[in-house]
Amino acid sequence: MRLVILGVGGMGAITLSKIIAQMCIDKGIPVRSSEIHGMAKKGGLVEIQMKIGEGKSGVVLKKTADFAIVLDESYKDYARSYLKDSEKGLIVLTEKDKLWAVNQFGDVRFANAFLLGRFIKSQSVFDKDDALSVLEQFKFFDKNKISFERGLS
Amino acid sequence: MKLFLSGNEAIAFGLLASGVRFGVGYPGTPSSEVLPTAIEISKKYALDGYFEWSVNEKVAFEEATAASIAGIGSFVVMKQVGLNVAMDPFMNTALVGSPGGLVVVVADDPGPHSSQTEQDSRFLAFFAKIPVIEPATPKEAYEFSKLAFNLSKKFEIPVMIRTTTRVSHSREDIEVSIGDNKPVKVDFKRDIDRFAATPHFRFLLHKQLNRKIKVVATLEWYSDFDEYFDGNILIITSGISFAYLYDIVEENGLQDRVKLLRVRMPYPLNVEKIRERTKRFDEVFVIEEGYPIIEMQLGDRGCFRGRLTGDVPQEGELTIDEIKKILSRVGILSSESEESVKPPFKRPSLCPGCGHRSAFYAIKKVFKNEAIYTGDIGCYTLGLNLNAVDTVHCMGASVSFGFGFDKVYSIFGDTDRPVVATIGDSTFFHSGIPPLIDAVHNYSKLILVILDNSTVAMTGNQTTPANEIGQSGRKTKPVKIEDVVRALGVDFIKVRDAYDMDGMISDLQEAKEFAFRNSLPAVLIFRHPCVYSGEGLKNNVRFKKVFVETSLCTGCKVCVKQFECPSLVYNAEKKRVFIDLATCIKCGQCVVSCPFNAIKVEK
Repeated sequence: MRLVILGVGGMGAITLSKIIAQMCIDKGIPVRSSEIHGMAKKGGLVEIQMKIGEGKSGVVLKKTADFAIVLDESYKDYARSYLKDSEKGLIVLTEKDKLWAVNQFGDVRFANAFLLGRFIKSQSVFDKDDALSVLEQFKFFDKNKISFERGLS
Repeated sequence: MKLFLSGNEAIAFGLLASGVRFGVGYPGTPSSEVLPTAIEISKKYALDGYFEWSVNEKVAFEEATAASIAGIGSFVVMKQVGLNVAMDPFMNTALVGSPGGLVVVVADDPGPHSSQTEQDSRFLAFFAKIPVIEPATPKEAYEFSKLAFNLSKKFEIPVMIRTTTRVSHSREDIEVSIGDNKPVKVDFKRDIDRFAATPHFRFLLHKQLNRKIKVVATLEWYSDFDEYFDGNILIITSGISFAYLYDIVEENGLQDRVKLLRVRMPYPLNVEKIRERTKRFDEVFVIEEGYPIIEMQLGDRGCFRGRLTGDVPQEGELTIDEIKKILSRVGILSSESEESVKPPFKRPSLCPGCGHRSAFYAIKKVFKNEAIYTGDIGCYTLGLNLNAVDTVHCMGASVSFGFGFDKVYSIFGDTDRPVVATIGDSTFFHSGIPPLIDAVHNYSKLILVILDNSTVAMTGNQTTPANEIGQSGRKTKPVKIEDVVRALGVDFIKVRDAYDMDGMISDLQEAKEFAFRNSLPAVLIFRHPCVYSGEGLKNNVRFKKVFVETSLCTGCKVCVKQFECPSLVYNAEKKRVFIDLATCIKCGQCVVSCPFNAIKVEK
């Protein structure tokens, strides 16, 4: 499986990739990623490409990804250019969902658990319990769980 | 234990697992995570040792060399341009050797993504005559680091681990184990012919070095190749390019067309062994990230094609797309034309609430377009956006450039132009002090503004010599910048909070007067904690509300252009400026920038 995660600095995109990676490690599936975050801290793009169960480099080429998870709507078109099938596999954090996380928890980073839920729903390699057992190890599990379950529904 | 580690983290694990107990360096993207990871590991596994940032790469290199001479396994880490700073000890340590083992971790930045040059450090290994090994993946970074240390210890020669941005910032699931906290013995064996060698003995040391490198070139594993696939076209490769090529071959079904020959140690290269392999091929490509170090060592080019024949571009990063283009051009891959979608561009900017922005704003208010602005390496390079930076060269060059500009304008200029240099606190410690000595000694009327946020901000908030606690969590003795400046003989020094706009403006005016009257440098320290650090943000001024009074806003965009805070957003439809509440930290620093007093704060 190949996926890309696109966000802006400070939103937790890298943490999301680490959660997915931990699910792979727990299941014994090889996982590699490639991060691009040159000037991300200064408001720029954070781009994480992941290969699960294949490849030598973590790099994912355009038009080859199964999923693209986007934390900022302005990168939607760019994200679509990575997808094998531009109609399938795009998971976007909309302004509405973003605001929901901010209002509910006071921190936009809880939206990552929501996106994780959407990702779990979209594929069959990992299930709900795989995700929860990783989320459990993070701080604020109760909040993350609420956000995650909203993503699943 | 399986962990999802970056290449940089994996290097730290590999080094500490193999017994390295002394690690120093200077932060710089993409190398900055190696040392902090080493510190984490040493704490977690209660390993004795010393792991801490040094004031600059030259100093770090010498410290690590001494530790190694005293028998302690050591490493030093830096980015590629840092190795330029450390060149002097680097060349010498190669000759003298490193009895306890010394691994030189250098992260190159082809592209470049966040550097001034895209130089290839493997050439500097070649130049100093030390072995360099090149991992392609984080997993290899872990294994190769162990092998680098073993080689270094066995031959008492520094060994370079050369990584690049893509390897340093890739992650992979890696099985790691640190092993026991084996006792380490410090043991400096006095040997003045070696450690205090005069030129005569240097010749002998050079001879020994040549002998070592000749043996290393034929060593098992190091001089071996990884060979994949069985086609008629041979591609010699190394590092990240190997990982890319491997994936391209697999994904495009080229297994019958090409053969990959992966070099583990690009220098010293076992040329004969490679020639053995290349004999039966009519077409041989060399694809390596950086400069053509393997290609050049192959000597007689014959059928070799690469950077030297123009088949591989001579500048820029060899991304996987770039390699695919090369393979298409030479007919290995069928060419496909596709329009590339680029992400929307966002100009990098100082963080909302950054004290540097306020300082640059004050500088521009006083010196307008009259001064020459020499800048430096760090976040404050982005003073560019406020038109308060005219030059950025290398670490510390703001001060020496300022000196140079002032001298030539004083002698040859029709009018005497003020020169304002801006430098960060850590960069000042790193290499701003020697040029300031020159400026004092030679009557330069340079105005130096030290933008002090008490951290190495750009690379991820590492510690500086002014901090009370080091990166390792150890207590450190703070070195005060104003004390250093005073001790150099600077007579005009002012320290000011960078949020005090009126104060900064009057300091700058006084500084200008002083410098011109006395032909001596004036130094201003504008200090404000980095708001990107947790502590800095927590303690920062925070108004209840910062807002634009829409009825007063004329849409003139003066605030957007002159203050340039990313939280000030111009809405073209409404022709008014609004504040982006998601990024604004409510510091209220932008208030001064509105000519119509439309930006308001509520306490």
